[in-house]
Amino acid sequence: MRSDLAAPIRCLLGMLGADVHSNGVRTLARRLRDRGIEVIYVGEHNTVRGMVESAAAEDVDVVGVSFWNPGYLAATKALVAELDAAGLADVMVMVGGLIHADDVAELSALGVHGVFGPGSDVDEVVAFLAEAAGRRSDGRGRTSA
Amino acid sequence: MNVDPEDVSVRLSRTRTWSGMETDAVYGPDDIAGLDHDRDLGRPGEYPFTRGSYPEMYRSRMWTLRNIVGYGAPEDTRDGIRRALEAGSAGINIVLDAISQEAVDPDHPLVEAQVGQEGCSLPSLRDLERLLDGIDVTATDVAWHSTMMIYPMIAALVRKQGRRLADLQGSHMPDHLGLTLAGWGEAIMPPELGHRTAVDCLEFSARHSPRWALGMPQGYDLRERGCTPAAEIAIGMAIVNQTLADLAARGVSADEVAPSLAWVSTADIDLFEEVAKFRALRRIWARTLRHRFDAQSPRSLQLRIACHTSGRSLAYQQPLNNLTRAAIETLAALLGGVQAVETCTYDEPICIPSHEARELAIRTQQILAHEVGAARTADPLGGSWYVESLTNRVERDALDLLATIEEIGVVKAVQDGTIEQLMDDYNLGLRRELDTGERIVVGVNRFVPEGAEPPTRFTFDRGRVEAHVRRFVETKRARDQQRLEASLRDLYHAARQRRNSHPAMIDALLADATMGEVWGTVRLANGYSYDPFGVITSPFDHES
Repeated sequence: MRSDLAAPIRCLLGMLGADVHSNGVRTLARRLRDRGIEVIYVGEHNTVRGMVESAAAEDVDVVGVSFWNPGYLAATKALVAELDAAGLADVMVMVGGLIHADDVAELSALGVHGVFGPGSDVDEVVAFLAEAAGRRSDGRGRTSA
Repeated sequence: MNVDPEDVSVRLSRTRTWSGMETDAVYGPDDIAGLDHDRDLGRPGEYPFTRGSYPEMYRSRMWTLRNIVGYGAPEDTRDGIRRALEAGSAGINIVLDAISQEAVDPDHPLVEAQVGQEGCSLPSLRDLERLLDGIDVTATDVAWHSTMMIYPMIAALVRKQGRRLADLQGSHMPDHLGLTLAGWGEAIMPPELGHRTAVDCLEFSARHSPRWALGMPQGYDLRERGCTPAAEIAIGMAIVNQTLADLAARGVSADEVAPSLAWVSTADIDLFEEVAKFRALRRIWARTLRHRFDAQSPRSLQLRIACHTSGRSLAYQQPLNNLTRAAIETLAALLGGVQAVETCTYDEPICIPSHEARELAIRTQQILAHEVGAARTADPLGGSWYVESLTNRVERDALDLLATIEEIGVVKAVQDGTIEQLMDDYNLGLRRELDTGERIVVGVNRFVPEGAEPPTRFTFDRGRVEAHVRRFVETKRARDQQRLEASLRDLYHAARQRRNSHPAMIDALLADATMGEVWGTVRLANGYSYDPFGVITSPFDHES
């Protein structure tokens, strides 16, 4: 649960595994900082475990991963499982990059409701982050209503 | 139904070029007052080659229509190659998956779901044999869209087949510094080690396989990461200059290596600016090679350019618009006088290219060649006041930035984030202009279609990929361990002593070492972790 309601929203951003196309997420990091979000950008080539450890250490509200590689469903599933195992079920997950519309339902079933594929707007991301931080303050998790 | 008049009409929305240079309404002789025909242009095929590298350009030597293929297991990509050849592609271009391009093995615990996505999985010499079964690499021009390890793998194949390296044909892209910048980052490609490996590769190839072409610098990836045409020239030339200087220190002259080099470039959507870039680039190349490196051979001075149209210019939304974008970008490349073109498929932002999209990319080039007449006359925009003025401006901006980078030193400018910062700033500026509407991309921030169906994507059976990974693991178990360990020990010591790593890499691959094992050993010998992800450790003991 969030310790301080008035504190700025904190968001971890990065990429997993072999993925290399980081333009989008790097630009997003700077645009979110412009909007007052505290962004912890951990770069490319992270392991799921490394990312979850950073999420815990940095006390973030949201973990965001950008994907280029079509293998993103498996990677997201692993990330969610690792967050749960680390006791971070209240930390929301968002994904972006080349996410195909056909996969949104499966991501949603994983508890991933922040899906920002091609054409997404930074305002939508900021709104999602605010909602996610709110859920965390209320003690609601990723999967609860 | 209410129709916004602007949705069915056109207007001028921008007077700056796509990269941000302000333009005037009209250009005339005053705009190129200092331009000297003989000194600055010359005829096509003459120094400084501004107007093209060959006297009659496409009449004497047509551009090569290339088509990029690669997905799944080696057997999948073989199918793709066969279909591309049947559809009319002359050159075979093979792209590897991100894992192979990072020299990570497909049984690495972190990458399972990523194997064979976006390219062919090619982790060992035996897989290369499967992929090229029946293709003679000394008689066929195969272009490899890959940097790490592919040259030693091909050289090992040539040795295994008892052919001569001196006869080897084809090309790859040995620009390792470009990889660091393009998103591999320091973790996967430490800049100093990468640069030294590129110099090793060029030295080895110049001495042993002079017919092999070296696609360097990788200007395409620099632009995709985010920079202007002038910055493509500046960063690319900084990499080339440092490489040629280091080769000279090893006794390899510019004339021994430059004739094998080809610039890997892009054509983005601003046709005139891209034509200006290709012209400015040839002029800067020729002058640099002559004055800085004392090159004498005309083949060193006349730059060859291989172009892939811009992937990042394409939109996910309303993807058929990408056919128009790719056609114009292909025309820009031809008006700019390039030697090979790959036209992006319209579905590139969505998925691995479908067979239909690939065929349409080939048809685009055929329409330009046969109907538009793009091949008819050399440098058709030369002498246009506008294009000559743009050429001068791109050249000036490129030389200014090149001086800045060289003042720092290009390897250091990669290490200390100077170049990365420049690219991040460029991308952020572009994004902000899209947000404010100052820059319009059709279907993305204006003229967005309502209720559009998401585009369909190419899918393929993952069964072969899974079987490929199982086979890879089984083959590793069945190797001659003694020979394997001895070859990797030799590689470790060669790399430790900073000798050219290529001969020992080739020997290790012939002993059935995998790509990940070979590169991991080189990393260890240079003081880096065996595994760039820090998850697995080396199974070999090189010290005993």
